[in-house]
Amino acid sequence: MSLQLIVNGISLGAVYALIAVGFALVFSILKFSNFAHGGMISAAAYIAYFFYSAFENPPSLWTTLIFTAIVSLLIALLLDTLCYRRIRKNNSPNIYYFVASITFAILIEQILNVFFGKMSYGFPPMFEKTSMQFFSASFSTMDLVVLVISLVLLAVLMLLINKTKIGLAIRAVAIDGRTGRLMGINSGFIILLTFALAGFLAGVSGTLLGIKYSVYPALGSSMMVKGFIASVIGGLGSLSGAIIAAILLGVIEMVLVYYLGSSITPALLFGIMLLFLFLRPQGISGKFAQDKV
Amino acid sequence: MALLEIRGLHVSYGQIEAIHGVDMDVDAGKITVIIGSNGAGKTTILNAVSGMVKHTGTISLNGAALPAHSHKVVSAGIVQVPEGRRIFAGLSVEENLRLGAYLNRSAKEVRALLDKQYELFPRLKERRHQDAGTLSGGEQQMCAICRGLMAKPKVLLLDEPSLGLAPIIVSEVFETIQRIRDDGITVMLVEQNAKKSLSICDYAYVIENGNLVNAGSGQDLLNNADIASAYLGVRGE
Repeated sequence: MSLQLIVNGISLGAVYALIAVGFALVFSILKFSNFAHGGMISAAAYIAYFFYSAFENPPSLWTTLIFTAIVSLLIALLLDTLCYRRIRKNNSPNIYYFVASITFAILIEQILNVFFGKMSYGFPPMFEKTSMQFFSASFSTMDLVVLVISLVLLAVLMLLINKTKIGLAIRAVAIDGRTGRLMGINSGFIILLTFALAGFLAGVSGTLLGIKYSVYPALGSSMMVKGFIASVIGGLGSLSGAIIAAILLGVIEMVLVYYLGSSITPALLFGIMLLFLFLRPQGISGKFAQDKV
Repeated sequence: MALLEIRGLHVSYGQIEAIHGVDMDVDAGKITVIIGSNGAGKTTILNAVSGMVKHTGTISLNGAALPAHSHKVVSAGIVQVPEGRRIFAGLSVEENLRLGAYLNRSAKEVRALLDKQYELFPRLKERRHQDAGTLSGGEQQMCAICRGLMAKPKVLLLDEPSLGLAPIIVSEVFETIQRIRDDGITVMLVEQNAKKSLSICDYAYVIENGNLVNAGSGQDLLNNADIASAYLGVRGE
């Protein structure tokens, strides 16, 4: 196993971690698996691509990332206002969230299929030097940039959740929303904020994945599966567990692809998830073991 | 005029009406207690005050109608310590207390409030970094009460604070409630432990099936034969 393989694995895992965390955030607050996150990622990849290629002088990676993340954030808020809020207002069972989120994911994917499904789009190379040499190994510049962006964003997010007052309120509402309200927390605002954060993360991960691979309608749903595996292994709803699991998953995937090829790898990854859940059903973190959708 | 006034309170859960028009006054600086059997509607009254359930009728603080949203009720100065303590398990003791002061923007004041609670209950200070879910029942109740006090309430609503606690801890809880009143905080207490709560309260209401059936000073009710047979376990002649 070379250093290169490990670094690439971590880079891939870091993007999975962005997805898994976006997924885990919504799960921890509303206790349902938000599959719409996959659709959001696909949409974000297209938004990023068309934004990037709309200008004669392409905007920088940063501009593209921030633009896409903000648009995704707004889409997430729209989705919440249009569907999820009504479910909350009516106190409907969680299965409604589940169905609504899957429907939304399929809807986005199919709309993208109708308009852009005939071809896949690829970002042009963004850096003059496409690879860098370290310790006699060669790394793709893009992989390193993806790694740094993901890790920085994850670090900022963990600081926000664990060290700030608003983060404390998010954790409190996740544990017991009703009692949170008795503390004077506006739980409706916290839920909206959580969706905004998840949308922002979907925007960043969609952009990075689009650049790393190519832009196609099923990009989000295929990547969503990996994020889902990571958040399940991490212990649904636990952010740190999801991050650890996602990075492990990225490294394992890279190693498996390298030695066994890419056709058998997805099956093996699911096998690992099943085996893991058999041995430790509460996930890495061991929280939220009861209450899975 | 009473600090907290409840007039014509009706609360329904779906088709079923749980509170059928209740009037109550909670005087400033006093302990007002609501007793009644299980399912009589005591908790529902507190939740109506806290804005946790929809209701009709008026609830006013200092003559001004209370806001409908629960988080605005807290900023108006009415704070509830819920039944079953409802500590945030998974968060530390200090994080739990800080959540009580969620609406307070002054970090300095929050620090001072924290120190005050730690002075009141040194046990909580010893365990401030511990997961609050691992505290004993009595410690959790103290943590929940302190969490309520962190909001600097005008009125503290206490829902069954003695529930599920050992007798010696129950006495400590009731002493704490008197100390809170002596600090100038108005207390509205819901209890099943009628004997103890009547003996510390300034005024009491008796609720049965969603209706107010009796009211009076704690001493009067303790001497009332009907109350004694129904709630104090004393057989009438």
